[in-house]
Amino acid sequence: MQPKLKSKVRCTDREVGEVTRIIVDPLSREVSHIVVGRNGAGVPERQIPASTIQAVTDDTVELRAPSSELNQFPVFRRDEYVTTHEVEIAHLEDHLHVQPGEVLVPLPELERNVKRRTFFTNLTHAIGALIALPLVYPVLRYLMKPMYAPFDNRWLKIGNVNRIKADDVGVQFKFKKAVKEAFMPEADVDKNVWVLKASPAVLEEVYGSKDMEFRDHTGGVIWTNKRDVPYVAYSGKCPHLGCGYKWRNVPKLGRQIFLCPCHLSIYDSSGKVLDGPAPRPLDPVPIRVAANGDIEIIDVEYKAGTKVQTRIV
Amino acid sequence: MNGQPSVLEKVFAFVDERVGLKTLQAKMLNEPVPGGSRWAYVFGSCLLFIFIMQAVTGILLMFYYVPSADHAYASTQYILHEVDYGWFLLSYHFWGSTAMVVMVFAHMSQVFLWGAYKKPREMVWLVGLALFGLVMAFGFTGYLLPWDQRAYWATTVGVEIMDKTPVVGDFIARFLKGGPTPGQMTLSRFFVIHVMILPAALMGLAGLHLFLFRKAGPAGPFQGSVEELKAKTDYFFPRQVWKDVVAMAAVFFTICSLAFIEPVVLLEEATPDPGDYHPEPEWYFLFLFQMLRLKIFSGEFGQFLAGVAIPNAFLLLLAALPFIDRNPERNIFKRPIALVGWIVVMAGILIITVSAIINREFLD
Repeated sequence: MQPKLKSKVRCTDREVGEVTRIIVDPLSREVSHIVVGRNGAGVPERQIPASTIQAVTDDTVELRAPSSELNQFPVFRRDEYVTTHEVEIAHLEDHLHVQPGEVLVPLPELERNVKRRTFFTNLTHAIGALIALPLVYPVLRYLMKPMYAPFDNRWLKIGNVNRIKADDVGVQFKFKKAVKEAFMPEADVDKNVWVLKASPAVLEEVYGSKDMEFRDHTGGVIWTNKRDVPYVAYSGKCPHLGCGYKWRNVPKLGRQIFLCPCHLSIYDSSGKVLDGPAPRPLDPVPIRVAANGDIEIIDVEYKAGTKVQTRIV
Repeated sequence: MNGQPSVLEKVFAFVDERVGLKTLQAKMLNEPVPGGSRWAYVFGSCLLFIFIMQAVTGILLMFYYVPSADHAYASTQYILHEVDYGWFLLSYHFWGSTAMVVMVFAHMSQVFLWGAYKKPREMVWLVGLALFGLVMAFGFTGYLLPWDQRAYWATTVGVEIMDKTPVVGDFIARFLKGGPTPGQMTLSRFFVIHVMILPAALMGLAGLHLFLFRKAGPAGPFQGSVEELKAKTDYFFPRQVWKDVVAMAAVFFTICSLAFIEPVVLLEEATPDPGDYHPEPEWYFLFLFQMLRLKIFSGEFGQFLAGVAIPNAFLLLLAALPFIDRNPERNIFKRPIALVGWIVVMAGILIITVSAIINREFLD
């Protein structure tokens, strides 16, 4: 039991005064001292350590010391302390029970029906849900508007095959793609594909024994790359995580390869992964070459980082 | 002095009577710091200071910045080259973000090494982890806004990594990009996340963090007898406040110096053709970037492992830490697993980051 304010203080021989203040240790949050106010004017208050307390009852505090020893305890100095209102000590109130008792205010008559309180709590939540739930779908639709655009199957002219001087060498073709995004004015976006004139061996690597079909979102075939056409175009986007890769001569390997500078995936001219983290070969895109050598492609893009191609543009 | 209160004192008394300013001030400043003030406790205050400065410089940048694909780059260049002191404010904001990440690492390390995440401070630790996530999200979204090559490619790769999350990855990636590929919608989304959603979330959670911290009380040193601690204990004001303010000033002048010595320079405007640019993220994402280069993290599953599973598992482990590690011992020298774990993680991040920097030479 903790000593209470206003409790009588009794020494081993007689009553000496009352508890005027209680001092708490800020770290242990336990009562460390009581301050005893003495009977009679002009007698200083004394600060008694909690270890001197023999017993505490409802309205008295009994000390171990006789009243004659009381003057050996230090005089209480108010300016060495602050009140608990002036300091922030975590969980102080959980440790202290020094008030003379509970301080009460009456609960209003209308607040005494517990059932109605529960009802109103639930009603408040229900009305909140009534406001919030109808918003979920419109807000989601609002935010999702641009997320799933239809595929763009336009043929884009990117250049002429006369730029390609040797077989199985990657040549970058940069082109502008007119993009109309949402409310923005139509703008030309810089893009690129890597085209190579493939030797029969490389062509075999790329296509195997089958022609390569390209599909719309409905699954309908929009174009077929014939396996006997020697021109192959790879999407400029690395199938690992979507960076732009380069055709590089690597003296150490004694050959030329496609290298992505981001995560160092390396592909040979047939797009096959030679080294690095890429999960699948380079992505060929639909290509057609006119009689005059003009190259056209469809700017197909696949999701990066997956083993299987998933078309996203 | 005629004993009559001045007008200022009357105004103060008027407000104090209604608001309780004196009590509020006393409660804010008079918090016992067990074992006394220390330089090791300045990191939290520094983070608050850095955040406030980021908010101030960020608001100033918005006076000129336009979040549109055809104006973001030009408006950022305008801030850098035309607006008086624009280069300084933008560079301060840039280096401030770096300082924020450094300080978050310092703060988390201090709390970890001091064992301050343990009971009864688990909630403070959990909210702190959420704040760590917000700081990283700030860095990631802010990076895109100048709309230069660096911005574009860091975002492209970053979002592709999120795409590797099972089930919801595709949705998250499309949601963030506002479409299948980065563009205007991506810029709009990153902008609103960076300047509205994240600041609001950070203010709310930082407030909660402080409230919970005050509720639980400071942990204090991890060794020393009760008597020793008691003898050294003082209040938050003035000694700790003083140390905090000195540290804030040091942070401020460091960021200013970096802004002067190494001001922000933009690369070419963003385009889906990288040209000769070798994409690389901000330094605090470099270790993740480098990890994805490793052979063991190749292929679809490897990417998921390095890009999604390992980082998230690590965060989960940190979140579970106070519940796994229930030993009340806080002295780091008596917690060998914690000490070795901290060293291994820090050394690991450092080594992988350095190897990413060494790899640059190989590319040029």
